[in-house]
Amino acid sequence: MPEDNIELEEEEYSSQLTLPVLKRIIALVIPHKYWALGFFVAIAIVSVLDGVLTYINKNIIDQGIAVGDVDRLMELAAIFGGFIVVQSIMVFIFVYLAGVLGERIQFDLRKQMFDHLQSLSLAYYSQTSVGRLMSRVTSDSGRVADLMTWGLLDVTWAITNITTSVIFMTIINWRLALIVFAIIPVLVIVGIKFRQRILVEFRASRRANSKITGAYNENISGVRVVKALGREDENLSEFQLLTGDMYRASYKAAWLSALFLPIVQIIAAVALGSIVWYGGIQSQAGLLTIGGIHAFVSYLTFMLWPIQDIARVYAEMQHSIASAERIFKLVDTQPDVHNLPGAIDAETLLGEIEFDHVDFYYEERKPVLTDFSLKVKPGEMIALVGPTGGGKSTIVNLLCRFYEPKNGRVLINGRDYTEYTLESIHERVGIVLQTPHLFSGTIRENIRYGRLGATDESIEEAANMAGAHDFITSLAKGYEENVGEGGNLLSTGQKQLISLARAVLSKPELFIMDEATSSVDTLTEALIQQGMKNLMSGRTSFIVAHRLSTIRRADRILVIEDGKIAETGTHAELLRQRGHYYRLYTQQFRQELEQQYGVADGGKEKKDAPEPMAAD
Amino acid sequence: MNETLTFDFRQAISKNRLKGLWRMMVDYRWPYVGATISLAISALSKTLTYFLLRYFADVLTGDSAAINNNYPRTFALVALGFVGLSVFQGAFSFISGRLAAFTAEGIARRLRDFLFDHIQRLSFSYHGSTPIGDLIERVTSDVDAVRRFFNEQAIGVGRIVLIFFINFAALLSLNARLAWISVVTIPLMLYISIWFFKRVTKRYEKYQEQATVLSTTLQENLTGVRVVKAFARQKHEKDKFEGDNWEKFLRGRHLLMMHSLFWPISDLVLGGQMLFGFVYAAMMAINGEITVGTYVAYVGLVVWLIWPIRNLGRLIVQTSTGLVSYGRLMEIAKQDREPLTEGKFHPNGSVRGEIVFDDVSFVYDDEKSDGTPVIKNISFRCEPGQAIALLGSTGSGKTSLVNLLPRFYDYTSGSLRLDGVELRDYPRKYMRAQTGIVEQEPFLFSRSIRENITYGVGRKVNQEEIEEAARAAAVHEVILTFPDGYDTLVGEKGVTLSGGQKQRVAIARTLLKNPHILILDDSTSSVDTETEAEIRTALNNLMENRTTFIIAHRIQSVMVADLILVMDQGEIVQAGVHEELLAEKDGMYREIYEIQTRIDEELEKEIQKSDVGVNHA
Repeated sequence: MPEDNIELEEEEYSSQLTLPVLKRIIALVIPHKYWALGFFVAIAIVSVLDGVLTYINKNIIDQGIAVGDVDRLMELAAIFGGFIVVQSIMVFIFVYLAGVLGERIQFDLRKQMFDHLQSLSLAYYSQTSVGRLMSRVTSDSGRVADLMTWGLLDVTWAITNITTSVIFMTIINWRLALIVFAIIPVLVIVGIKFRQRILVEFRASRRANSKITGAYNENISGVRVVKALGREDENLSEFQLLTGDMYRASYKAAWLSALFLPIVQIIAAVALGSIVWYGGIQSQAGLLTIGGIHAFVSYLTFMLWPIQDIARVYAEMQHSIASAERIFKLVDTQPDVHNLPGAIDAETLLGEIEFDHVDFYYEERKPVLTDFSLKVKPGEMIALVGPTGGGKSTIVNLLCRFYEPKNGRVLINGRDYTEYTLESIHERVGIVLQTPHLFSGTIRENIRYGRLGATDESIEEAANMAGAHDFITSLAKGYEENVGEGGNLLSTGQKQLISLARAVLSKPELFIMDEATSSVDTLTEALIQQGMKNLMSGRTSFIVAHRLSTIRRADRILVIEDGKIAETGTHAELLRQRGHYYRLYTQQFRQELEQQYGVADGGKEKKDAPEPMAAD
Repeated sequence: MNETLTFDFRQAISKNRLKGLWRMMVDYRWPYVGATISLAISALSKTLTYFLLRYFADVLTGDSAAINNNYPRTFALVALGFVGLSVFQGAFSFISGRLAAFTAEGIARRLRDFLFDHIQRLSFSYHGSTPIGDLIERVTSDVDAVRRFFNEQAIGVGRIVLIFFINFAALLSLNARLAWISVVTIPLMLYISIWFFKRVTKRYEKYQEQATVLSTTLQENLTGVRVVKAFARQKHEKDKFEGDNWEKFLRGRHLLMMHSLFWPISDLVLGGQMLFGFVYAAMMAINGEITVGTYVAYVGLVVWLIWPIRNLGRLIVQTSTGLVSYGRLMEIAKQDREPLTEGKFHPNGSVRGEIVFDDVSFVYDDEKSDGTPVIKNISFRCEPGQAIALLGSTGSGKTSLVNLLPRFYDYTSGSLRLDGVELRDYPRKYMRAQTGIVEQEPFLFSRSIRENITYGVGRKVNQEEIEEAARAAAVHEVILTFPDGYDTLVGEKGVTLSGGQKQRVAIARTLLKNPHILILDDSTSSVDTETEAEIRTALNNLMENRTTFIIAHRIQSVMVADLILVMDQGEIVQAGVHEELLAEKDGMYREIYEIQTRIDEELEKEIQKSDVGVNHA
């Protein structure tokens, strides 16, 4: 549903073709210009042959039947047959070339966008919804490819078709041809006007459709409440308003379309009538043959095809150009965080890390961190606690250089970290997030993501350290078990353990855990403790957590509130202060023990973001 | 109340899907027949155009005398005839299109209405076991496929068949021998096109499968952008995507090969057929068996008859999607609804709230259940206005027990009486109107806060009443801080409410509904201390004069209840008031109480430890 909405929103504006955009669109075809040339030529030949075949038909009547010349008839028939064969071959060529070219352009566009997306920074991702990006890569690329293949094909065909018909008609009888030329502009105008009206209804129907899907979605997700409150009848009446809107718009769009064709045909029939009348009189005067009149009727029908289509093609082209502009905009976006010229390799992150008067915001005038300073010694373990929205995750984001400070600096080994290359920092950071992200594939593949060349033994070793080995081996296929799309065949706790193992495998120098084990049960958590202790020795680590066992072990605890350090110290020091930490601690302590003793309702895992520490 | 649906899909269920679709057309059969007849008239008009052309050609070649030899007048009449026939043809083609759209859109509309209503009336167990995404997919895509069946495929097949027979009849009237030799390859063409489109469909499915794979890879990459960056795996991701991307290209090419073979092959077959007919007819004309006019008419008719045939295969193959979709929708329609108003006993006014459980047991009857009762042999009694607390761990059956009261589920055995009448005899609708539920995580709709509060009240409510309820639910002040006050939208397009705020909106909603039986499902467990106090005030307001069931896991939430039921594995293991239960030495209640006391003590110890400077690290 949301994707549907996105498309709908974006459809609202239609673009005019500008020269720079046109140039870029054409540039897409350049690498495959011979294919394009091939289908151009093929479709033109097909179209011209259509005209020629009609002309041969005329001659069959005039030179064969009318004068009773069987030899001429057979000769013409042979030519006719030969052209049919040629035409079939050309049809094969243009369908195949246009189709393959279309697929190839899509391939190129998708590749270009995907590769570019990999370099864009998190700030871009936080502003742009995944649905929007998906529709860019999947449907917009398809539309642009359609424009450059079937769209162009339609245009070429229409032009050659009309030109050929006009030429042959003029050859046969230029006076009659003038009658036909007179109606062409009328038909084009009628076509465009109709298309506009149909489009209005069509959009209304799409809007209604998206509302209907939304209503279904909400009513089914909230069906318990609907039943409990007995609101079925009212819901149905509300829904019927929506289906009524949809009905009216789509019905109107449908019958307007049904009206369009007859109108075009009637206008054409007027021309046909004139040809018959005027042509009849001329033929009496010997100026026109019966075959000629017959051919005229055929050419007129021919010309109607592209004209009937012109409105559709025009609308689709507008659509495609808008798609192309969106694609170009994506490809032109520059990443906020990138390597500076002359950036050097960080070599090691095991040095002093310092936040030096750092300011940061995601949106202007909504500061998240203000004048934030912090020094961390190599090998130190820092715990960050505090309410949601206080700035804990932002500190982590800056530390990983997913974002860079707006003011102030982050120093590693005494050097501003923007002087290092991004890759050299990321390679040495291990990060485990609260909402663990796995990729489709096996468990082994997911852990190996941490170090692509890792052996099976080291993967299992890492899993062991992360406390994941036991549950993995208890699965039917063990490490070869499929995790499903986004890991959805596993529980959140299991996913967290696997992403922990993945980070362990990468042997980071700076280890960051953002609520990394929030959904792991207490027993497993205890199991991990030892492994984590080994892991963190000799490494600098930042832990965002609410589990007391984790927090207590930290060398230093920072209570972060409103983008500032509200309290800092060891566990015991902070408890003695009877301040923020004390309050968080008592509440958390009670909750953990209740769970441990099985008094509390344990089923909290269903909630994705348990934030007991959030409360203050 | 007002049953506005005129269409019942359940009357259109049939194993034979075509028959089912026919039944679905009830009330629309005449318009659809009308559409078909109009189509025939329109086609016939066009056929007559060729006869007019024949006449015209014959006049020109002198095979037929013009009216009184007045050629200009004859030509003018013929010209008028063309225009007239074309108007006739156009008018009926429009009528046909309009009637077909009327049918298809009308059927789709009432199908949507029916499904919406049907789904919201299906049982709790059905909803519990059916993924939402699957239902949504069916009610959108499958309904659309059915719509297309009526609007495009069925009428499209009909159109081609009609054109074929009308023109064939016309050819027969021109010359029988000529007619027969003009259609010899048609069966072959039909066979080829069905053969091709079946394969095209298969290859297209493969292509679509790869499109899905590609989307998944893309989506996982986009949603996992942090992971990709954190492990600096951009290269790996690019390679993976390129692999999937290339595979899609290959499958696209594979699919195209089929298309690019079909069109020229059909061109050859039909072109050959056409040429053969032309030559044959031309020979007949030369030999004087037919007139030149007949030849001209013949050429027009043959062209018009032959070319649509190659689309027939495509349409026939496509109709199968309509049939499949019908089947998928039928599966939903077959499900039994909850009979909301059914019941032997129809009370006037409200319940008093005296509830007696007498040896009540309940087993879920869906596929996931293994047949063990989730609550068994429950007996207790509560007086009107009393508060009953249910204490126990997850899976002890607390929620299942209260779910019986609004008749979300029906108990399997025993007797449950409300005001002396068996609960099963009350209509479900009545029971739900009498019961209010505040859940741990209430579901709010993406509407304004006002609409959420008045949701399901079933009567006009003025602003004062709404505010009064919001005040009693301790949420009025919060609402005023939102940009549009009570008109602020909830959810994606508006404000995101915290758990505590959602809960208080739900309490306000329940207050307005004014139920006589109240269920509070763990209402204070997920919120912090400060909010808890506010919610408790709100809840106390709510509980006044209502029979209340409180589900909780903390002793302090249940202490004041008139009756506390301690549940374990579906059974009541202890029952009584706080003091009584505390007095039972080996009881579970006392155990829980002791654990909670112990927790407090341990906490105290822990803090003292830090006070004397002993670090626990």
